[in-house]
Amino acid sequence: MTTATATPPPTAGKAMRTVHFRIKRCDGPGKPSRWESFNVPIPANSNVISCLQWIAANPTTADGKATTPVVWESSCLEEVCGACTMVINGKVRQSCSCLIDEYAPNDGDTVTLEPMSKFPVIRDLWVDRTRMFAALKRVKAWVPIDGTYSLGAGPMEGPRASETRYKLSECMTCGCCMEACPQYHLQADPAGWETSFIGAAPISQARLFNDHGTGKQLKSERLEALMGPGGINDCGNAQNCVQVCPKEIPLTESIGAIGRAATVEAFRRFFMAK
Amino acid sequence: MSEQQSFMERHHFLLRRLHSLSGIVPIGTFLIVHLTTNASIMWGMANHRAAEYAADPVGRGVATFQHEVNFINNLPFVFLIELFGLWLPIAFHAVLGVMYAVTGSRNTRAYAYGGNKRYMLQRLSGYVGVLFIFYHVATLRWGWTFLVPGGTEWSSQFAASTLAMALRGHADHFSITGLFVSLLYFFGVSLLVYHFANGLWTAAITWGLTVSRAAQQRWGYVCATVGVLLMAAAWSALGGFMFAVNVQKAETVEGVLYQEHHGEMAPDENAPGEPDLIEPQAALSTNRTDG
Repeated sequence: MTTATATPPPTAGKAMRTVHFRIKRCDGPGKPSRWESFNVPIPANSNVISCLQWIAANPTTADGKATTPVVWESSCLEEVCGACTMVINGKVRQSCSCLIDEYAPNDGDTVTLEPMSKFPVIRDLWVDRTRMFAALKRVKAWVPIDGTYSLGAGPMEGPRASETRYKLSECMTCGCCMEACPQYHLQADPAGWETSFIGAAPISQARLFNDHGTGKQLKSERLEALMGPGGINDCGNAQNCVQVCPKEIPLTESIGAIGRAATVEAFRRFFMAK
Repeated sequence: MSEQQSFMERHHFLLRRLHSLSGIVPIGTFLIVHLTTNASIMWGMANHRAAEYAADPVGRGVATFQHEVNFINNLPFVFLIELFGLWLPIAFHAVLGVMYAVTGSRNTRAYAYGGNKRYMLQRLSGYVGVLFIFYHVATLRWGWTFLVPGGTEWSSQFAASTLAMALRGHADHFSITGLFVSLLYFFGVSLLVYHFANGLWTAAITWGLTVSRAAQQRWGYVCATVGVLLMAAAWSALGGFMFAVNVQKAETVEGVLYQEHHGEMAPDENAPGEPDLIEPQAALSTNRTDG
């Protein structure tokens, strides 16, 4: 340990250094939050998840008190599932792809972990993201193919449309865009979900399925949902969503595209609807 | 979902889009007209047709500004234009704007992106802007002189001189309250110009005119240019009224225009006046209904 005090280069890795983790903890829904600190020895190429695993195996705080293991959620460990999303040093991101050598290169550096603030905490860093899936249902983010007989092959898709939609399809419903959005707020009561701002990800998913050859059958219904309270118009154009999206999905372009579709839909309804 | 939707919820889309539209037409359009009119105190210096009223550049500016004000006040149904073209749309935009703005939150510390700061400033400028507009209209249009430094009542017939007095609090120097009001005007107008330019940018996204990031950037340059030009108009106008206008000389020019306009001298009876003022100053106490 003594060798580590002489400021190691970021990726030195040979000498173990200690990084200080400040973690916002909560014992269960509705329980008060508290901060606990842990000193974690860092092998080379650690990420936040490997540090949380170390803490789970050594649940003793920095001041020597025994505590419960910190709870978090993770699955794929390659920034594809979105389950391990949390607020790290004040900004939302996936913890699996958060490398300690970047975030805390020196001995004694601090890394702060908090659960996402826009979703109800289940325990510690684990949040309830049900509202995001409710939002996908709200915009009917699927292709309607259920029926009593085979519909045959779907329509062909050109390479340009395919390229645009492929990017949108990478959304993993992680919640980063909602956590960073100043218009999106914690809404613990599901009764409020239908009229609270829906967030960038479901708006982008509506665009993904509106632009699908078969999915566009539900376009009008999707726009109906997005033109109501909590829909597209509740966006304040702060554009944080596109900045924090780990998949670099052009969320603000989707917001513009749905805004355009909503404008056209409003005129269509006024002048053409029976 | 719930059977009982409020009026706001039932007409959510229409109200949101009318709010967006009203910021551009009529309010933004009026802002452009208003600021270019005010800036005539500066660009009027190059107005050779005003040379017959004043030999000096500032005097030409005063004459041009007075000419612009007369044009506006001679519009037919000017009160109806004000009511339905300005006051009601501004009230609509302000009331809905505040209702929408309170649904937002501020997180510029954690997410210090340019877009997020503009979002925050858009709401801040809305709050400050609506208070400023109220003060501006109440004092200079509705004649709430108890809120004007020095108690000057703005006169549409003596537009530049009374405005300079109302900003400075004195004919030839700034009083403490005059300085405060002048600063209020500087910040209020600057924030409103920002609010319009940034609102023009976000409205294009709202309506779906700009979808791609490149289009949003290009339109951003256009909006920034509009903002810079309007800011230049606003600041030059304020600079003109705060620093350039000589109140006594301006009154002389305005007195000549008044005479031309009404075929008689400005009325000076019943004017309390001030001992150090020359004659046309007496007309200060007349209000716009005399015209």
